[in-house]
Amino acid sequence: MFRLLKGFGITLNYFRKRKVTIQYPEEKVAMPERFRGIHRFFPDKCIVCDLCVKVCPTDVITLTGKKSEENPKKKIIDTYNIDFQGCILCDFCTEVCPTDAIVMTARFENLSSYNRSTHFKDMEWLTNNHAYGYYEESEAGPEAGSRGEVK
Amino acid sequence: MSINTEEMILNMGPQHPSTHGVFRLKLHVNGETITKAEPVMGYLHRGSEKLAEGFIYTQFIPYTDRLDYMNAMTNNYIYCAGVEKLLDWEIPERAEYLRIITMELNRIASHQLWWGTYLLDIGALSPFLYALRDRETVLDRLNEISGARMTFNYMRIGGVKWDAPDGWIEKVKESVKVLRENIAEYDELVTGNEIFQARTMNVGTLTKEQVINWGLSGPIARGSGVDIDIRKTEPYSIYDRFDFEVPVETKGDAYARYKVRIAELHQSLNIIEQACEQIPAEGDIIHKKGARIMMIKPPAAEAYTRAEASKGEIGVYVVSNGKTKPYRVKLRRPSFVNVSILQDMLVGESIQNVVAIFGSLDVVLGEVDA
Ligand code: SF4
Ligand code: SF4
Repeated sequence: MFRLLKGFGITLNYFRKRKVTIQYPEEKVAMPERFRGIHRFFPDKCIVCDLCVKVCPTDVITLTGKKSEENPKKKIIDTYNIDFQGCILCDFCTEVCPTDAIVMTARFENLSSYNRSTHFKDMEWLTNNHAYGYYEESEAGPEAGSRGEVK
Repeated sequence: MSINTEEMILNMGPQHPSTHGVFRLKLHVNGETITKAEPVMGYLHRGSEKLAEGFIYTQFIPYTDRLDYMNAMTNNYIYCAGVEKLLDWEIPERAEYLRIITMELNRIASHQLWWGTYLLDIGALSPFLYALRDRETVLDRLNEISGARMTFNYMRIGGVKWDAPDGWIEKVKESVKVLRENIAEYDELVTGNEIFQARTMNVGTLTKEQVINWGLSGPIARGSGVDIDIRKTEPYSIYDRFDFEVPVETKGDAYARYKVRIAELHQSLNIIEQACEQIPAEGDIIHKKGARIMMIKPPAAEAYTRAEASKGEIGVYVVSNGKTKPYRVKLRRPSFVNVSILQDMLVGESIQNVVAIFGSLDVVLGEVDA
């Protein structure tokens, strides 16, 4: 019985200690710099080398390139899509990218939706995902924040 | 007066909260006594071993995270160590230390979560909150170094992915201090508690013979007096440089396993502390050829490596045929082996004790089904 009361003593002590809970979603935890969140893409940096497609273990990246108009020897990116249904946020695409055209942001939320097809994010969405720190509604990409159509 | 009873089949699971996953136990019960138990597994089967055959060597690392997701660092490590053995690479000092620190931190997180959920299973809610609060300290450190809280994908073949960020080692030292205090609190809160002792002492007793015959490992084996810890008996990485003890209890019941795990928490903290002292201030973190992850091509050979995960002995058998993809990867998952003992140890126990026994084994279903 004594030990039982001793346990209660510890619990009581906590009344005068600091709170550890965070009132999510009003308050958010700051994720560290390296946090592997949802990608951001920089089309100008991409050299269409296809390495990210090759290294992706789940084959969710698709891209196409086209010839640059100014310099016919150079290729520029035409379409770039990530299907977040399958992405495991493993970071290999960022790791192999020679120019850091695809990077991961600290954003970890607002990717869920009611519709599978809305998980397919195109270049425009990925480029507009400028959420290194915290994601604000006003910065949202074309589909972010919308609920998607329930079919 | 005697009551006629009939044998009945009771299905526990697949969606039973105490399994923390999807696992089914088919219990044959006579009254309240179990006469036969059959573990049914495979609900979470993802074919990890087969998947490995389609990947280049590095691509499989994030999948090892998803085996025992409570202790992903050791899984990462053991797969990388297997491939490194084929390649015969020397791992840079600093990388070895970073590996040890992260692995031990992860072992702490794993045991803490077990501590919380086990007590939750047997009816105490508040320890769970303590455990998750303290586990957060560990996960923050791991998040800072690897960029993820559970699926770290931090080790690479030949080293680690990232060097420690500025001041990380100092932060780990601080955390060790905080954790020491918090873990001491666990003892006060639970270990001596009479209700807890009544619930776990002499429950689910495993003899030394049973442990050896069923090939059990980890805290379960050590709780039954089998003194085996691969970190000591067959030191991998640089574990031979640290001074730590292997806690062993002889009684073999759920309480003994509990005590082993709590003692291991303290030992892990000791190892982290020593590693933080010894770690070289700078140096390479990956073998010079390891950074080019698309080019890793071990010679045709096969290798088996093993390590001590928080659940027991984890082993990886890699067969290479000289190409960029492994020919075969076989994973020895400790939880899979450990869970098989249920069919033996549950016979004769009463239904009330099933959860207390199952919880004390600390199996993770992601690892059972791979
Ligand atoms: S994070 Fe991994 S799974 Fe996701 S797109 Fe990049 S390589 Fe593919
Ligand atoms: S690896 Fe980088 S540069 Fe190459 S195609 Fe992918 S995003 Fe573009």
